[in-house]
Amino acid sequence: MYKILAISWKDAIVRFSSRSQLLFFIILPIVFTFIMAEGAGLPGAGSESDNREPLAIVDNDGTQESAALLAALNASTVIHTFSVDPEDVEKMLAVEDQALLVVPSGFGNVLNHGEAGDIDLRLGEEINRQIIAQEVQAAAADVSRPYQAARSATKIAQDEISFANEDERQDFFENALTQAQQLDSTAEQRFIETQPGIETQDNGYDRVAHQSVGQMVTWVFIPLLGISSLLAYERSNGTLRRLLVTPTRRHTYLFGTLFGQVILALIQMALLIGFGALVLKVDWGQSPAGLILIMVCFSLASAALGTALGAFTRTAGQATNLSIMIGMLFALLGGAWVPMEVFPAALQTAVKILPTTWAMQGLMELVVQRQGLVDILPEAAVLLGFFVLFLFVGVRRFRFE
Amino acid sequence: MLGAPFLLTLGMGLVAGAFSSDSSSLQIPVAVINEDEGELGQIFAQAFGSDELADLLDPIAVSSASEAREMIMDNQLAAAVLVPPGFTDSFIPDTATGQLSPVAALELITDPARPISAGIVRSVTNTLLNDLETQTLSVRLSIEQLIAAGVLDAGDSADLAVKGQEIGRRLAIQQEESSLISINYETAAGAGDNLDFMAYMVPGFAVLFLMYTVSQGGRSILAEREKGTLARMLATPSSSTQIMGGKISGIFLSGLAQMSILILVSSILFDLRWGGLPAVTILLVAVVAAASGWGILLAAVAKNTQQVSSMGTAVMLIFGVLGGSFFALPSTGLIALVSKITPNAWAIEGFTTLAAGGSLADIANVIIALLLMALILFAAAGSLFRRRPLSAV
Repeated sequence: MYKILAISWKDAIVRFSSRSQLLFFIILPIVFTFIMAEGAGLPGAGSESDNREPLAIVDNDGTQESAALLAALNASTVIHTFSVDPEDVEKMLAVEDQALLVVPSGFGNVLNHGEAGDIDLRLGEEINRQIIAQEVQAAAADVSRPYQAARSATKIAQDEISFANEDERQDFFENALTQAQQLDSTAEQRFIETQPGIETQDNGYDRVAHQSVGQMVTWVFIPLLGISSLLAYERSNGTLRRLLVTPTRRHTYLFGTLFGQVILALIQMALLIGFGALVLKVDWGQSPAGLILIMVCFSLASAALGTALGAFTRTAGQATNLSIMIGMLFALLGGAWVPMEVFPAALQTAVKILPTTWAMQGLMELVVQRQGLVDILPEAAVLLGFFVLFLFVGVRRFRFE
Repeated sequence: MLGAPFLLTLGMGLVAGAFSSDSSSLQIPVAVINEDEGELGQIFAQAFGSDELADLLDPIAVSSASEAREMIMDNQLAAAVLVPPGFTDSFIPDTATGQLSPVAALELITDPARPISAGIVRSVTNTLLNDLETQTLSVRLSIEQLIAAGVLDAGDSADLAVKGQEIGRRLAIQQEESSLISINYETAAGAGDNLDFMAYMVPGFAVLFLMYTVSQGGRSILAEREKGTLARMLATPSSSTQIMGGKISGIFLSGLAQMSILILVSSILFDLRWGGLPAVTILLVAVVAAASGWGILLAAVAKNTQQVSSMGTAVMLIFGVLGGSFFALPSTGLIALVSKITPNAWAIEGFTTLAAGGSLADIANVIIALLLMALILFAAAGSLFRRRPLSAV
């Protein structure tokens, strides 16, 4: 055990002999987490933040009806609206990823005559466009309901009693509309939304939490794959040969290297979790034990993969490049950057062979779904399985010369 | 140099479904638990399994709400809709008494880790429910208006119930729109389809790894200095300007070769249209010049090869995320402002404009910005190199 600790300490000294390593250990992960969280909708992260999708609104109508539509959109838990002056529409249109809703002049007037009104919705980025479109559809449906009901009632009345002229019809429509608005406003809610295990007031999707989890997985995974570079460096420098001349067994060396890097990874994750909790106000779930378990299992699996990679690479440079490339690719495919639900169904199945997929799944269950230790045991077991498999490959194939 | 950008672009393409023939089919796993005794519950449940929603939803049979909740927690379902007992009776009055039952609210149970899927199911549920609510309101309003007009007797509940059902059928036959507000959709340029997505990702990753290549090129200057070969070169009749010029040209040409090969092969592999050849060539030269400027500046700032390697990788990644190489960040605000120092942001803007049919004139500002960036960076690097002799270790 003493030798394992000594080798771990030696590796830590070698790794941090250059201060630039702090860049990858803590600075870059924090910078990336902050940038991605900023893109996710800061300032004010976590439950206090406005993680909602932004929707710019131009109201060229200025009537009660357009105001009712804007009020319905303002009440949304999924989008947040901000008003734009009509003179700034061109500027807003130049911003390609900004959703923009334009209520044209005359909108209220046509609704008040029982006719269909139009609104223009310009959508941008692929992932978020459907959410914005749905919310606008829902708000439009809510606002138009009394007008639709009044129009239908007027048509029925036309069949039953026949209006003498257009004015009489319009009068009937207006009376019906007033009554419809009153009935609609007093109608009981027919739709509630719940999420298992989460209090209703905390419902919703915390994008900042997702980004924090994803960046942590990415920036812990890549350096652990970099164990391959450490191994290749020692091998090519000749220091490994010298180490093995000492009364140190080969597996002691490998376990010492692995153990040291896993400890460093756990420290790194703790720092990132602390940053997320204190600065970004991320709530890391209600199971610290579950969080620790997933972190340990993921670190072990990643370190073992790095060891296996080290068995096949020849030089430190080659290993470093491969670590970065494979690390980024596995993080991407594991759902660390983009929610996995947007992946095609076949790909969602295929990526189950990656350790990052299981790490993300376990962490999302803890942080976003608020599940407990028992619920993430399957993910932890799979990650330990990866650890055993990769370590077996790494130990069997490792070249000490 | 070449493998990594292709691999990552392939990865992003897989994620976006660019290579899948059914990429527009989402197949969200959703369950409908119908505990209602009436026809509306049945209609609601059947709607989720209809052909119109076949591309969006994948209905899964579950026996109870608790089973649905467990399946959501196990990531087997994105959402579940619970139609409660008495749902139909809360919409259609009893024919004998003419009375409606108390409101029985639908419950939508969603997975908090699947916001997009949950949003889609929410939208479908809202649309179906709105149809029912609008129809109910229309019928109720019609009845009350006819009573007010003296056509119907308010005291005859049975007659009112029958009349209400008749009106409901008439409205259904007339197929009234469920919303009087129509939405005209428009898509911003560059957003929305798989081909555009790849046209965004390929230049993004190409420039990302171009930054890595040029930083490694800068590293080679320091490597020569550390090994002493640079001092030997300086001892020859070649001036330091000629030597550095040669090194910089090598970095520039490596970057140019890398980008050119990536553009050519991606055109074949991903069937991408990059735009007019003259415009693409000029943009390419400007991008590589700006990136090379950063590579040389890194070499001028760093003290040894390890430092330039670390800084090069860090700069590559930071510029990649700031400049939008991985995915688009907001185009306004602080991030957007800071991204202007990266060749990535300008390159992606230029290449996507050309791919969308733009001309050289449309990207003139991009080219000027990149060339200016190159000029400033080379000047800064030159100044730093002059302060520290090339032969000094």
